[in-house]
Amino acid sequence: MNQSNNYQRIKDNWKHDVKKTEQRFPERKQTFTTSSELEINRLYTPKESSETYTEELGFPGQFPYTRGIQPTMYRSRYWTMRQYAGFGSAEETNERFRYLLAQGQTGLSVAFDLPTQIGYDSDDPMAEGEVGKVGVAIDTLLDMERLFDQIPLDKVSTSMTINAPASILLAMYIAVGEKQGVSPEKLTGTIQNDILKEYIARGTYIYPPKPSMRLITDIFGYCHEQLPKFNTISISGYHIREAGSTAVQEVAFTIANGMAYVDAAIESGLEVDQFAPRLAFFFNAHNQFFEEAAKFRAARRIWAKIMKDHYKAENPKSWKLRFHTQTGGSTLTAQQPDNNIVRVTVQALSAVMGGTQSLHTNSRDEALALPTEDSARIALRTQQIIAQESGVADTIDPLGGSYYVEALTDEIEEEVNKYLERIKELGGAVQAVEEGFMQREIHQTAYEAQKRIESNEDIVVGLNDYKLEEEVNPDLLRVDEALETDQIEKTEQVRNSRNQTEVDECLKGLKQAAKTNENVMPHIVAAVRVYATVGEIANVLRDEFGEYTGV
Amino acid sequence: MKPIRVLIAKPGLDGHDRGALIIAQALRDHGMEVIYTGLRQSPIQIARAAVQEDVDVVGLSSLSGAHNSLFPKVVAALEKEGASDIPVIGGGVIPAEDIPHLEEQGVKKIFTSGAPTDATAIYIKQLMNQETRTAPKKVSHIGIAVENIEQSLAFYQHTLGLEVEAVEEVASEQVRVAFLPIGDTRIELLEPLSDESSIRKFIAKKGEGIHHIALEVDDIAKRLEQYQVEGVPLIHKEPKQGAHNSQIAFLHPKAAGGVLYELTEPKGEQ
Repeated sequence: MNQSNNYQRIKDNWKHDVKKTEQRFPERKQTFTTSSELEINRLYTPKESSETYTEELGFPGQFPYTRGIQPTMYRSRYWTMRQYAGFGSAEETNERFRYLLAQGQTGLSVAFDLPTQIGYDSDDPMAEGEVGKVGVAIDTLLDMERLFDQIPLDKVSTSMTINAPASILLAMYIAVGEKQGVSPEKLTGTIQNDILKEYIARGTYIYPPKPSMRLITDIFGYCHEQLPKFNTISISGYHIREAGSTAVQEVAFTIANGMAYVDAAIESGLEVDQFAPRLAFFFNAHNQFFEEAAKFRAARRIWAKIMKDHYKAENPKSWKLRFHTQTGGSTLTAQQPDNNIVRVTVQALSAVMGGTQSLHTNSRDEALALPTEDSARIALRTQQIIAQESGVADTIDPLGGSYYVEALTDEIEEEVNKYLERIKELGGAVQAVEEGFMQREIHQTAYEAQKRIESNEDIVVGLNDYKLEEEVNPDLLRVDEALETDQIEKTEQVRNSRNQTEVDECLKGLKQAAKTNENVMPHIVAAVRVYATVGEIANVLRDEFGEYTGV
Repeated sequence: MKPIRVLIAKPGLDGHDRGALIIAQALRDHGMEVIYTGLRQSPIQIARAAVQEDVDVVGLSSLSGAHNSLFPKVVAALEKEGASDIPVIGGGVIPAEDIPHLEEQGVKKIFTSGAPTDATAIYIKQLMNQETRTAPKKVSHIGIAVENIEQSLAFYQHTLGLEVEAVEEVASEQVRVAFLPIGDTRIELLEPLSDESSIRKFIAKKGEGIHHIALEVDDIAKRLEQYQVEGVPLIHKEPKQGAHNSQIAFLHPKAAGGVLYELTEPKGEQ
């Protein structure tokens, strides 16, 4: 078949897909125009077809998805505006959630405190001083019920930043759904559930890598049966970038981790197309606008090729890299915090230009403390202004075809592939993490970046140049220190009022399952229903699997 | 000389250790021996590690907001281990308002976000050589630029009721000065004697008003030397002769948000 026929064929496919999509998700307007009444096309393409275009770019919603994973992208629906929130008690966080939903946010994203993330109850000695600080404290199902009080789980999708104890929090989410009368197959959302990046960058691991991987594949298997609409993992480059990696390292290590999860799931007996459509990704957006936009486009293309060519997935849904983006926390400065609003705008725009499915914009005060209600609102408004006022969402992949952006996209793909090759030689991501390969690469990059800032080779506005002599101290959110005692008391009350025999039975069942190859998820769901605590369940698994202590 | 040994620790559950690792590397680049504890250390574990490793300083890093609770516990744990002589410093996401509380609880110094790694290294070196500086003892005087001393005196003498201690000319600076004691300190009126005088230039640019604040310090020479190492902008890199045989030096106003500070060390008792 000659080239222009081929081009015409895939273009026709796309047009057909657009028609189908429009039936389900009509475009936001009949016609899109600029302020001068110039009509905006759905998509702009090269005047002449070429092999590179059809193979490397193609059309939106078509392999290799460089230009986006949906045929109409934001012409039909904006990305999900999903602000990450959580602090203090379940009641306080519930109030912030309902405030954000009332302000037009379209999805929830829960931040848990560190004890919850590491599987300790609030009264564990290890939790001292940390309860409710960086997120909400959840010890039992009761806390989870209060967290989602008056929030119908069949109407919102919820993302939960939870990794080592993801199975426990997911089980609680299922149980809250049941209490609200929402069956598991209707639940939508994402659990982060990406343990490999915890060893690399974020540090909230509990168990050693191998049993952790088994917990993840247990979740894949359980959700395939019970929660078909739930994203079972969000493979995260965000924290890798925050730990100091470059954009290329972020994509490379994230995709390497993604491949490790696919390998583990296949090894556990699942078919690739059974779980791959529910894999999601999570990336960071830093300040270098074009590199960031190109990074997202490259990541999509790399993943599509890996899934189709290497893993031989047949379902196109398995080829699509869907991702959430958060703007870069580490790029924000404590100095002149209002400048951060501008940084976040540039970063958010790059994510939209890169075709993100959902977005969290950081608040201006995050280099100092958790966001206040005011700063959280400004962050959300930033997204709304980009969506509603800038017009950037009116045509698909507006940067596509830019000589610069396409060249950057190609180069990022090439550099990422070099890393993937190296990690493969080391024996895959799990092995590379155990040997500390990614950790060392990132620390080196982070230290060099710091030195460039201190020598003023790199300028950070307000930090090493354009400084103010006198900084105004902004109002900060403070978590009440009394919260810890209240939370401990609440958990003790639950322990005293539940049926202890039922709890012991369930934990025994879980222990048995952990020893064998049986899926642990049904046992965890049973345990949370009878109000076993996060710490009690995590401790059963600690006893069986051991604890990881770092490289 | 034995290199300085530093323990860098992450107390609590916070897993973000980019800052801790960068500081550890930077201190090594400054010739120190650095031990990093890794994540999730309890205060007692940190104190024991500090004793076992026989370190000179403990550096804590926390970004989770738990510093107010955890940092003082490390200080207390060191005391319990009989090692209260090991100073504790800290850094991370720590709001400025929390610093007084932490210092009161025995944390020597807090480096907030954006502090250059060099500042931490220099501070540790000074701490080890007992070179950390004491705060200036008092305001020696406040210098006020005036067009004409006689005309200005009316306010100070009659309205305020202060007494003039002395009026003298400082030829080298092309100024005439009047000193009026007030408590432990003085007001110094400065009148330009020629167009070359810096006071003339000051008045031309900003009008009459506060020109500088002079702080009385010990060992001015050493202090200037330290400031120079730290890159504090200075007008005088070495002390020069001031009135009454004192040693004086000016910092550049850039160092202090536009305020001109003079350091002065009065001559010894003999």
